[in-house]
Amino acid sequence: MKKLIVLILASAITLSCLAGCTTTPATTETTAAPAGTTTAAPGDTTAAVPAETTAAVPLTGTLKIWSFTNELQTHALAFQKANPDVKVEYTEISMTNGEFQTKVKAAALTDDVPDCVALEASFVREWVESDLLADLSSLLPKAQEMGTYQNTIDVGTFDGEVRALSYQTTPGAVFYRRSLATEYFGTDDPAKIQTLMGDMTKFQDMAKVVKEKSAGNTYMVASTGDFTNLFYANREKPWIVDDAFVIDPMIDQLMDMAKTFRSEGYEAQATQWQEGWFAGMNDSLKDASGNAKKVFCYFLPTWGLPYVLMKNAGDTAGDWACINGPLPYQWGGTWVGAMKTAKNPELAKAFAEFVALDETNLTNWATGVYTNAYLKEIDPSIGDTLVQNPGDFVSSKVVVDKITASFDNSDASKFLGGENSYSGFAAAAPNVSARLMQGSDDAIQRSFNDPLENFVSGKMTKEEAIQAFKDAVQSEFPEIAVS
Amino acid sequence: MQTNNMTQGNGAAAKAAPKYHKMGNLTKNYMGYVMVAPFIIAFLVFGLYPIANTIWLSFTNTTLMKQSGEFIGLKNFQSLFNDKFFYMALGNTWKIWLTNFIPQMAIALMLSAWFTSSHLKLKGVGFFRTIFFLPNLLLPATVAVLYFSLFNFYGPANQFLVRTGIFSEAFQFFRNTTFTQSLVAFIQTWMWFGNTLIILIAGMTSISTALYESAMIDGAGGWKMFTNITLPSLRPVLIYTLVTSLVGGLQMFDIPYMLTDGKGSPNNSILTLNVLMYSRFSSSKGHIGLAAAVGMCILIMTTVCSIFIFYVLRDKDAAKEKREHKKMKKEQMKYRKAVSQ
Repeated sequence: MKKLIVLILASAITLSCLAGCTTTPATTETTAAPAGTTTAAPGDTTAAVPAETTAAVPLTGTLKIWSFTNELQTHALAFQKANPDVKVEYTEISMTNGEFQTKVKAAALTDDVPDCVALEASFVREWVESDLLADLSSLLPKAQEMGTYQNTIDVGTFDGEVRALSYQTTPGAVFYRRSLATEYFGTDDPAKIQTLMGDMTKFQDMAKVVKEKSAGNTYMVASTGDFTNLFYANREKPWIVDDAFVIDPMIDQLMDMAKTFRSEGYEAQATQWQEGWFAGMNDSLKDASGNAKKVFCYFLPTWGLPYVLMKNAGDTAGDWACINGPLPYQWGGTWVGAMKTAKNPELAKAFAEFVALDETNLTNWATGVYTNAYLKEIDPSIGDTLVQNPGDFVSSKVVVDKITASFDNSDASKFLGGENSYSGFAAAAPNVSARLMQGSDDAIQRSFNDPLENFVSGKMTKEEAIQAFKDAVQSEFPEIAVS
Repeated sequence: MQTNNMTQGNGAAAKAAPKYHKMGNLTKNYMGYVMVAPFIIAFLVFGLYPIANTIWLSFTNTTLMKQSGEFIGLKNFQSLFNDKFFYMALGNTWKIWLTNFIPQMAIALMLSAWFTSSHLKLKGVGFFRTIFFLPNLLLPATVAVLYFSLFNFYGPANQFLVRTGIFSEAFQFFRNTTFTQSLVAFIQTWMWFGNTLIILIAGMTSISTALYESAMIDGAGGWKMFTNITLPSLRPVLIYTLVTSLVGGLQMFDIPYMLTDGKGSPNNSILTLNVLMYSRFSSSKGHIGLAAAVGMCILIMTTVCSIFIFYVLRDKDAAKEKREHKKMKKEQMKYRKAVSQ
């Protein structure tokens, strides 16, 4: 008898060791504490709607979506509304230091593989150039019918196959404070400010004026990181040509400008995405002695308006205006791809099609139909913060042309003092070119942050910084020839 | 261990008694194996297999983006030893660990000596022990975020220092390599000294006070008592603390990774071996082979250092005693055999 009890206890212990093995990816993501798997503020929410058992609607099944923000969750909820028999499992994993990419890569060849993944501009090429995404070329005719901007399709295409599609196109812009513009330049008219900011030299001149007229209390930009995108986007050559590393002359110009901005005090040293950067948007930025400081302009793309600026501007709403800025650039954007090894490939493709090419969805997305109340109706468990504010610039020209006029009196327009930013983006979008984008761009550009900062703060000479940059790139990409 | 020759009992008694198996002078009881089996199985599956797999992976060029990897021998290690970031990481890891461990040990020894001292009679020992242990319970990610926002350019540290006049203008703390390295070492000390303290207190309370009393009678002072009684008696505890701290220190990852940008900035000053391994693993190509090679180096280094510690801190007198005892037993056996024949 005793032996029997002992045996049962022993096997119970053994089994309990093995019980921890199988958990759904959603829960493992939420409970994993090791460094590198921090999840973003809204928290991991899995939108699980019990699947109805009627066979009337064609699309059924469970759809696993992994993303790094909650944007795709709004799309997922809309998809669920359109296809009530589909159960969506949504997982959000932060990508601040690359955790999202690592996790998806690690899961790609396992059973935990998601059906759909969101791919941010910084790593979308890497994925499109790999063999992990399913072929979406069958959706190309519809994309052309919807007038999807060519650069959006280009980014998601490799070797003739379309592997990722996006619901947004992201030309970049400059958002400046009207009141400060009037104070320092005598006008807040976007056309006039655009002339003043015609190129980078003029931009630097403006920075000087801002500093002089404000006695150093207003900074032109929040950080040197704000304008690095402009230089990266206007190179002549890509980073890697024929397996050799190439540093375009624009990088030299970037280093010079960044150094000037730092030494002359034109920038607030409030690194992007940190406290100080956001504080500058709503005029709560105070330096170490407690003096209030202001920031004149922010470089943000289309999604920056509803997603970042409007969210954080607080009382400064209505005091902003939008112009194209000194150089055209694009920043960010989210593509959606279906994993080749997905458990539900058809469902995954249907979701990709819905997100990027469905006219109703895109229209609703851009015009702010997806309020928190609307989304709560579909799934009450999503909390109070999930919402898609109107104004995001969608990737379909058909939809853009249809809705541009509706933004004349929108919230975004009121935020910009009556300016319809949508028409500005619509004019800029066809000119955005993604021809230089490569999979290794993000890693290379991230490796440049530290050497650039060292150079700008005077700790390294330009040659040393360039050498440190080359070393970091060589270390990251041992197969590339770095001279 | 005295053994009963149960096999000599009658049939009924033999049936009722648990089965023993006689092997020389030992009897083996199978229940022992059954009890230990779950752990052994779990260890083999979850511990040994991954280690073996990692060793195998370090000799291949597997990446996350490809579906297969080929055996490439020592190429990974070659590229690793040619990579100056590896040596940087090696130096940083040892530097940060030593900067963390030595003060931590000193503080913990001092505090534990005071807390267990019979003639100091400190009040509130239990309360302080709890307080000192609390940082150990915090998640490293939380701690990293906390210190990051503390020393941010627009954070409270700068505000305090500038407003009280200690600094004339805000200081970029995280662009200073000395500061960042020291901060990581400090955080590690702060998080772990409570743990070390508790272990040392436990070790010290097991030393009999009679030793101290007789030493006091012989006229020994506090310091002499500490070095000649406390430290030698604490030897096993010290070995344990040293080895676990070494293992933890060489594998330091969470704080350096989360404190700045995950690449060890500024200037790769807090790039430790594990951060290097992770960055190879999570790089755009996902070099698992290279990462496994780094892991192998860490493993070998840790093993060698642990063996060295065990050797240096071994109890020479006890080892000698053991050898004498064994020799004596052998003689005894020989004598018994000679007598019984």
